[in-house]
Amino acid sequence: MADRRRINGPVGATLPPIYDSPPGSRSSAEKPDNAIRKIFLKTGVTPSASGSAYLELEKPNATGPSNTSLKLTCTVHGPRALPRSAPFSPHIILTTHVKYAPFATKQRRGYLRDSSERDLGVHLETALRGAIIADRWPKSGVDIIVTIIEGDQDRNAPESQRGDGWYTMNVLSGCITVASAAIADAGIDCVDTVAGGVAALVAKTPKSPPSIVLDPAIADYHKIYAACCIAYLPTRDEVTNVWFKGQLPGADVMLYNNLVERCLVACRDANRVVVMALKKTINAEQEVS
Amino acid sequence: MAAQSSLTLSSATFAKLSPHPYLLANLRPADASTPSSRTNGRQPTQARPPAINTSSLSHAHGSAVVRTGDTTVICGVRGETLATSQIPNYRPPLSLSLSLSSTGDASTPSASELLNYDLLVPNIELATGCAPEFLPGVPPTTLAQTLSTRVYSLLHTSGLLDVEDLRIYHEKSEGEDEDVGGEKNDEEMRDADSVDVPAREIGAYWVLYIDLLFISLDGNPFDAAWAAVLAALRDTKLPRARWDADREMVLCSRREPAVPLSISGFPVACTAAVFTAKERLKQSQSQGRRAGGGDAASASFWILVDPDRFEESLCDEVVTIIVDCSAGGDQDTKILGISKSGGTIVGPEVIRRLAKVAETRWQAFRDAF
Repeated sequence: MADRRRINGPVGATLPPIYDSPPGSRSSAEKPDNAIRKIFLKTGVTPSASGSAYLELEKPNATGPSNTSLKLTCTVHGPRALPRSAPFSPHIILTTHVKYAPFATKQRRGYLRDSSERDLGVHLETALRGAIIADRWPKSGVDIIVTIIEGDQDRNAPESQRGDGWYTMNVLSGCITVASAAIADAGIDCVDTVAGGVAALVAKTPKSPPSIVLDPAIADYHKIYAACCIAYLPTRDEVTNVWFKGQLPGADVMLYNNLVERCLVACRDANRVVVMALKKTINAEQEVS
Repeated sequence: MAAQSSLTLSSATFAKLSPHPYLLANLRPADASTPSSRTNGRQPTQARPPAINTSSLSHAHGSAVVRTGDTTVICGVRGETLATSQIPNYRPPLSLSLSLSSTGDASTPSASELLNYDLLVPNIELATGCAPEFLPGVPPTTLAQTLSTRVYSLLHTSGLLDVEDLRIYHEKSEGEDEDVGGEKNDEEMRDADSVDVPAREIGAYWVLYIDLLFISLDGNPFDAAWAAVLAALRDTKLPRARWDADREMVLCSRREPAVPLSISGFPVACTAAVFTAKERLKQSQSQGRRAGGGDAASASFWILVDPDRFEESLCDEVVTIIVDCSAGGDQDTKILGISKSGGTIVGPEVIRRLAKVAETRWQAFRDAF
């Protein structure tokens, strides 16, 4: 078991620090509804891998030491030959691993993969499968490994948050974007670059009506009704993965469609960043050679 | 290889097909006019300059990112509290007025608390896809376990941390509602109290989880990992905490600023690999002849400081030396550890030379902070 092979702490239970007073009030600078947060995307961080990328999302009202809130790194190894024991496959076998670092979230995570990480891996694989031209690589496999260095949680958010299921959506959309940049950096043939985006139906204050917000900063809102994360191919106008969670108030029949349409806007914005980052990499390579 | 053959290979192909002769040709060029160097352009005693960034993570109490060439490692330090009631073999220390132990001797009570109660938990994770041979989905490899254990033992033997920073006290004296988490100004309070009843006792400890993640690995993981641990610990600030007897838990104060750890010393690790002119297979056949030193070519070797992945795959013998020059001036450099494995070429003379190189490496790290 992994316990024998790692340095375990003391046998007694350790608790994260509990404070005697509630956190200070958050700054009231609000994130605009129709814009996504600024993305910093860079490829080629792991030279020994076939392709790699690093993504950071800016944090608009930064109070702590760092002014970015989501940090992801992705490495792609492949296409490489499948082991001899594997059965013949006429297309490439995609394997995704998503892992939170132990210091990524407010609660310390262990080293063994848990169900939420496996869930993210499955969503990521579905999102990327639609973009890769799999027939060009028979009998091959490619490994896509995403490491979440810092999750999207806000350090000063009040303790009574409604669970971090909503943060996972932001993390998934970041994973999709960074994996798509890494795959392009590895030179694996794709029909288009995938980009991830999130849109949510939120109520900002207890009295305000529900409104649709792009790239939600979870801690800012009073209540989140529903959220959806979409992986989108902008040039072909195709969706490869939809993950929708929550309850929509029943009055408006077209609410789901509106939410998805707004989410596609977020995806297009993220895709622009991916394309710009890849163009920069290609230009840099052309200058060298 | 004929000079005018149309089958001349590029150096990258040559490196992949026959790596050992490629490195040998670089270190001992056939043509006397070309200078000798390693395949990455460095001299044998030249190490990659380090770049260190601290305080980049918001959910950790201290963090650092260290880059030496293409090796990148992130270290995050988180503190969690452990009540003394949860420690199975807890025994209160004899005297609470122990000051900073500067010798780092493992026999002092300060160091033994850290060791006995497992208050420092370093772990190194290599399976992040940092290199093609480290893919996730498998339990930690021997290399990862060895690295974690080496960092763990160096943390304890170097006496870097003082257990006083990790103690969380329970103030027993009446009418005191001041937040004290192990400060030195308690001396007056203790002297004023009667000797019979102890003014304060230890209610809990901070446990430091030191997690290292390799983003990219291009040889020499130990040096980078140790530098990241040192940088992250220097950056760590723990909140002021006290043991609340009524609620039987630790409460941290938000009003007061967080307290940095007191770090004594500045140990830096320097690793070198030994590259021999003869390949492994041929070496075992000529074992007997080497002791006599008859064949000059077979006895030639090069010490490559800060090896990268290509060089590490060709070298069996590795030497690591850990030095601390922070005493400075006329005081001697302190050697905290020497470890060597994998062969018999390195002897006391080589280690002496390596210690000099380690001092320059120490200075490079000191300037990078």
